[in-house]
Parts: sequence; C-alpha cells; structure tokens
Amino acid sequence: MSTSLVCSSRTRLALSSTPASIRHYAAGKDSGAPDPKKEIIRRVLYPSNIRNRPTPIGTWRPDVGHAIQRAIPSVQAHDTVERAWLLHKRHLRKKRDAETARKFECMKKAMDALHEIDPKLYLEANKQDDPRARTAEEMQMRKTMKASELRAIEARIRGLFPRELRIPTDTPSRTGWKYEWKSFYRPI
Amino acid sequence: MFGLRRLPSSVPGFFSTIARGNATLTVSSQITPESSQPPPSKAKSSEPDHAAASKNPSTDGEVGVTGTTEDRKKRRKIPPKRPSISFDTPRSWNRPLREGVVPAYDLALSTLKRDSANLKLEAKQMRINIKEKEAGYQELKAKMDSLREVEGALEKRLELKEELQKLDQELEKMLEKLHIVEVQSEVNLPNVRWKVNNAMADMSKIEHRHLVEQKWRKDGALHLLMERLYQMNVVPDVLPELNPNIDLHVVARTTPREFLESKKVRKAVEPGAFLKPKQTLDAPKLHVNVFHADERLYTMLLVDPDVPNPESESFTTYLHWMKPNIALSASSPSRIPNLNTHTRYIPPHPQRGSPYHRYICLLLPQPPLGASEYTLTAASRATGPTSVHLDIPIVSETERFGFNIREFMRRWNLSGAKGGAGHMWREIWDEDVTAIYKDILKREEPRYGRPPKMDGYAHIKEQKKYIL
Repeated sequence: MSTSLVCSSRTRLALSSTPASIRHYAAGKDSGAPDPKKEIIRRVLYPSNIRNRPTPIGTWRPDVGHAIQRAIPSVQAHDTVERAWLLHKRHLRKKRDAETARKFECMKKAMDALHEIDPKLYLEANKQDDPRARTAEEMQMRKTMKASELRAIEARIRGLFPRELRIPTDTPSRTGWKYEWKSFYRPI
Repeated sequence: MFGLRRLPSSVPGFFSTIARGNATLTVSSQITPESSQPPPSKAKSSEPDHAAASKNPSTDGEVGVTGTTEDRKKRRKIPPKRPSISFDTPRSWNRPLREGVVPAYDLALSTLKRDSANLKLEAKQMRINIKEKEAGYQELKAKMDSLREVEGALEKRLELKEELQKLDQELEKMLEKLHIVEVQSEVNLPNVRWKVNNAMADMSKIEHRHLVEQKWRKDGALHLLMERLYQMNVVPDVLPELNPNIDLHVVARTTPREFLESKKVRKAVEPGAFLKPKQTLDAPKLHVNVFHADERLYTMLLVDPDVPNPESESFTTYLHWMKPNIALSASSPSRIPNLNTHTRYIPPHPQRGSPYHRYICLLLPQPPLGASEYTLTAASRATGPTSVHLDIPIVSETERFGFNIREFMRRWNLSGAKGGAGHMWREIWDEDVTAIYKDILKREEPRYGRPPKMDGYAHIKEQKKYIL
C-alpha cells in the first residue's frame, strides 16, 4: 500500500476521477440536433448523476428555500403588503357599494315621486321588455334574408354578451389579425 | 526491542475507520464524510426580522453524521432558539426591509399610515359626538330624577324613561362603532402587530387587546379548550352552557421528569390533561387574559363531578374551592391573587377504585348592575365594578360533598352562557391520595369497587355432580 505515514495536503491521494455526468445509454456518433421529444424521454429514463440538484420527482428540492427567500425576503413585509392590498380593495369595494346605493336611492325617490304624480306612467316605466322582441324593420328584413343569416340574427339576444367578445390570451392567434372583418347590420 | 506500536490516530491506514459514503466510489484514504450527504440548506435571515428568524430553526450541530436510526435517536430535536424579547427586555420594531428594496412594501406602509390617520380623525369626531350625546343623556336623567319628588308626574317620568332608553341604545351603537374604528386605526400597522406577536402586548391598549383576543379565539387555544370540555361531557354534566370570554390558564407543579427536562417548577396545564395528585397538593395558580376594559366580578369554582356516592350507587359533585367577587378587568394583573380567602382549597383526592375524576375550574360572571347585559354605556359611566356584589356564604366541609352546582347557579343568578372562563384536568388514584386522606382530610380512605356479582350457579356448585 502506498499510503504515506505523514498526512499532508501534498501527499494526498488523488480522488478517482469521475466525470461530472455519465451516460448510461448508447448513442450514435454525431447525433447532431436531437429530436426534443426523444431527449426529454431520455432525460427522464436516465437522469444525470449530478448531486445537489432537485430529484426528478420532487422528493428533494434544495433550491426551493432560496427561491422563496428571493421572492419573499421577509414574512412580516409580505403580511404588511397583503394587509395593505386587502385594505385598498376594501376601500374600493365600499366606495363602489356606496355609489351603487346612492344611485339606487335616487332612482327609488324618482320612482316614488312618479308613482305619486301619475300611476299610469309609473306602470309604463316599470314594464320589463322582452329582449327577444323584434322591431318592424327587423320583421321586414327577415323576409329578404338567407336562412343562415336569419339564424344568426335570432341567436343574438339583446343584453347577452356579444359573440365577438374574446378573452385576452397570452399569445396571439395562429390565424393572425382579420383585417377584412365587418360587423353586419342588425336593426335594434 | 521491537514491540507493536500503536499508530497515531491522525495517520490514515487501513487500521483507521474510514467513513464510506457512496458505496460505488473507490475507497480513498481521504474521503471527507461531508460530501456523502447533500448539504443541508441553511436559511439566510439577513434582516432583523425576529418573526422570520424564529421560524427558521438552527441547523443540527453535527454535520457529517450518517442518517442511521441510531444516529437519529441520539440526535435530539433542538427547539428553535427564539430571541428573548419581553417587557423585561423590550425591543422596538424596525423595518424588516430597507427603503427601496421592495417598492410594494414602502407603498403598503404609506397606505396603512394614511388609512390610520384618516380613521383617527374619524374617531376624534365620533368621540366629540358621543360626548355631546352623553351630556344630553345626563341632562335628561337629572330631569327625571328631579321629577321623582314631584307627585303626579308618573306619566312624564315614564315618557322620559323611554326617551332615556332610546338615547342609551343610540349611545351604545355609537360606542360600538367607535370601538371598531379605534381598533381598525391601529390594528393594521406592522409595529403594533409585531409588538403583540413578540409578547409585548399592553392590555390597556384597545388594539393590543383586540389582537390578543383574536389570537386566542382563532389560533386554536379556545378551540382546544372547548373540544376538551365537550368531549369530556363537562358541558351537560357540570353546567348547561359555557361561552368563554376570558382566557384562563391553570398552572400546576411539574412532575420530577418534567422538571428534569425543562428545569421549571411550574407548568401550564393543557385542558383535559392527566395530572398526578401530588401536582395539585398546593392550589394551582390561575392566570387570566381579560379583554373587557371595565371591572367585572367573577365567581371561581373548582368542582369534581365524579365522586362516587355509594348511597345512590352513582356519582356526585364535590366542591374543592370557591371564591366569589373576584374583580377582573383588562388592567388587572394576570395572576388572580388571594384566592384562598373564601372556601379554602382542598386538594383533589380521586378515590381508590373509582375511574378517573375530572376537575373543572370555572370563572362565572356575576350579573351586571342594574341591567340584564353588560353594555359599553354602563362601562363608560361606571366608577367601580359593573357587576352585582354577591354575599355568598362560605361552604362548610359537609356541604362540599353533594354540592349542587345548578342549584347554586340558579340561586345566585350565575350563568356561563354570556361569558366566563373554564378549564379542566383529570386525575386518578395514586398512593399520594392516601397521604391526602391521612394528613389533610383526616378521614379513613375509602376504597370503592363494583358490587359483587351474584353467582347464579352457587347452589348447583354445592351439590354433587357425579355418582361416584
């Protein structure tokens, strides 16, 4: 055995050199740009033997603490910001509710006054109209329209959200912006 | 001559113990044990945030110990070291983050300060209004009192009385709203919350009181107490209803083992826990956290509802301790003094052969002066206690056994429905109970058991079964 009796840094044996990452699967020479799907599968089936990295299925995650510390450096500060934000939202909510209540009160006073003055007009004012009712102009147009157009018009109920309403997305659509779109005339 | 020389331990060689971490690696004489395990992640707390620092426990002292069961058993769980802040060693709040580090935090602070200032102005205006209204109330009251001598003014007096009642109700609403506004003006500020979280709550301040009460009610202490009281059937057995409004802690002596672990002579009792009779030989200390600013009177009772009664072949109640007219308010000291001046304390003595006994400590509120409920208006006008003083006679030694709690409560108009406090623990017979019977009660120690089972086959057993 070539162990030296004197223990010093210079006489320390070199550690067996193990490479940083070991490949346990066969790979052809000059693979070039590999298929990303095959790479992912390969990485899952043969995970690299690097230590101090999170395990593949998340049983050990040493980086989480650091990440949380970066995002929320202080629990107390986080709680303070949370309280301030909720307080701000509460103020907005109260303002909105107060405004709505004020409008309702004004409306109620006006309707009460109308009821005193003229009960017939009051009943007229209280009448709820049918959102699917058709005007005379619309009845005329119906005679000259195609069946598909007719269906489209009948499906659009007043008060219902428009069909063109789009939820904003993170990425644009694949088909791009439709410059030729025109809204079609709908007699209300 | 040559003899075997013992090699110095620092020399590596195959006589010395080599720590093998990863078995696939070749044995090298300089393997460092630290690299065998992934290094423990040390949490960095750079700011003087004591709340956060206390949440991150210090890492285990020994790095490089392998994760075997024996090592884990030897490695005792070291509780996190918290900074010692209290009223004796007070510290002041500092910003957890420097200005500009997190802009949202600076904005939040300015928002909260602005909101607090607005609410304080509102509270000031409300106090002026309340003062005016109170002056009007006093005027009316004086008028009503002056009419008392005048004859024939009964109708007018009744009218005035109704008006007074209405004014009182309005005042009550205004005072409640003022309380809410005052609390909200301070409760969101980080320095106030930090103070309460770090054991420096000043019960004379309305916002500290509010935060401490919320902690007691929401963070689980009250839930645990009520769970134990209901699970041990204290509520139907001892009293019909209990809705605590005071946080009661019972502190009893520690067992020798607990003393060895914690070096403390006294320990708070968990509701429902088992205690040894020796731990309650001396009267336990009662500590309270009171959340109302006015002084009210409470009656303290310590009862044991599980004393065997051979005559009725059932169980009956024994009164161990009582003290009426205990004055408690937010500004009274935490520990209730002079509890042994009325019905003196007799230590719990669960009898031999009986199942475990429950010992229930109650603080029942005495009825309010001149009204059916405690009100903020009465509290604001009060000069002394707002409760009726009850002249409850001292319960004699014979009356303790078979003490009827419900009758007592009915007689003195005490009820746990609108407030009070409760606590309980359990005990079972020990040899120390014999000592209690000998020294303190000076009675013969009873021994209970089940009645003997009637043997239905006794007459058959006497007869001969076989002919031979």
